[in-house]
Amino acid sequence: MSTALLEADVLAALRAANRNEIFVHELYTALQQPTNLLLLDVRNEEEFQMWRIETRHTPETLHLPYFFFLEEEEKAVDQVKERVQDGRPVVVVCAKGGASDYVAERLREADVYAINLAGGMVEWGDFYDVRPVTEQPDYRLYQVDRVARGCVSWVFISKGEAAIVDPLRYGERYVKLLEQQNAQLKLLLDTHAHADHISSGPELAKMTGATYYLHPYDAIHPFDMLPARMEYTMLHDGQRLKLGALQIEVIHTPGHTLGQVNFLVTAPDGETFCCTGDNLFIESFGRPDLGGQGERWAPLVYDTIFGVMKQRVPSHAWILPGHYASPAEANAEGLYVKRLEDLWRENHSLHFDDKERFVEFVLGHLPYMPPQYVQIKRVNIGLSSPSLDEADELELGKNICALSG
Amino acid sequence: MTTDPTTIQVHQELDVRGLNCPMPLVKARQAIVKLDVGQVLKVISTDRGSVKDFQGWAKAANNVTLLAQSEEPGPDGKTLYLHYVQRTK
Repeated sequence: MSTALLEADVLAALRAANRNEIFVHELYTALQQPTNLLLLDVRNEEEFQMWRIETRHTPETLHLPYFFFLEEEEKAVDQVKERVQDGRPVVVVCAKGGASDYVAERLREADVYAINLAGGMVEWGDFYDVRPVTEQPDYRLYQVDRVARGCVSWVFISKGEAAIVDPLRYGERYVKLLEQQNAQLKLLLDTHAHADHISSGPELAKMTGATYYLHPYDAIHPFDMLPARMEYTMLHDGQRLKLGALQIEVIHTPGHTLGQVNFLVTAPDGETFCCTGDNLFIESFGRPDLGGQGERWAPLVYDTIFGVMKQRVPSHAWILPGHYASPAEANAEGLYVKRLEDLWRENHSLHFDDKERFVEFVLGHLPYMPPQYVQIKRVNIGLSSPSLDEADELELGKNICALSG
Repeated sequence: MTTDPTTIQVHQELDVRGLNCPMPLVKARQAIVKLDVGQVLKVISTDRGSVKDFQGWAKAANNVTLLAQSEEPGPDGKTLYLHYVQRTK
């Protein structure tokens, strides 16, 4: 949990302890509010362009690859010094924390208050932020956010039972959370077979005995046309599942994938939550082309959003999406949730009333598709088992599941 | 950078196996200035990140050219990343 320490406290504590190193959870906490720190990213141009540290309050960032500190140390150090004449702290970041440590040391020798981000972008990429959405006597809901990738998963707990919607790669993080919550994992619910990240659903099912659910349409690889090689239980439209005092209805919402579903969760207090996966986001919605069939699937996106969602999801339901493109999509509590009625008004990508124009808009705003997305889908349906390093590389960077612009 | 590494005449080898970023570059910089202008340093690294790092360094530095890079399996099965750097100034 990232709570307790405020930004000023984190940095003040570091200074007081004369620490030369900051951990990712501390940096994340510090960046929940505007700060005056300077982020110095010393990775290569290519890596920096691909992804960088972003939060709701991304600090001023300076990019200066570390070999400049080797080649022209004085000039590079001066360039940093110029930016922090008031003595504010510099947090130095590289891929794994080695080069940034070297640079931070050079800066400290030049009387700059420089702190190394321990573990670098690898650690930042693996950081999960957990925060409560609601904690009622008979049910609780948590947001588990893999900050660097913009991936969000949702944990429902009721009467000692737990369900995870779209579990992200590190299954053991959820196991830990559920131990703290004294809950037993029962349902593993993937809204679809993901292309941008590796699901821990099948692994958690093996580990805990919980049931892993997926829609069968997504158990066929859209490029390979090969069936899944893993155990899963089939979801279907209209199916009802129970978790303690919570009722879960499965709504088939094809478009992003053919087997994409929403989970509509109704609580005894009348609140309704709709896990939309890569169907609806707070801003924009899921692109239809990651299965290589953009032109065919784009009309399905229209039918799902303006047909199925309008008819079957109550307008007061809280939408819980699987992704965000920018931390600005969070509310004041850092939660990526919004009532559907507000989404209709505020999500600018939804201001269409004509299917043809909608499809044209969608096909005109398809971003680049990372080639590794085809491979990740193989992994998620058991057609491929990457090593840890390979998995890290497949998942590098931020998700690109929404439309652009 | 299309030179076939097997045709390059190497004047010195630098073994930085087991060292992580930034050490392969730090050591390569120290070694290259001990060579004569025109001579070639072959760097043997186990750090995958060194591939991009040597490319970036060669662009940033004004006294070296990166002639070639290649990969080969090491004796323990770990991939070796080879960099051929020529001193130009």
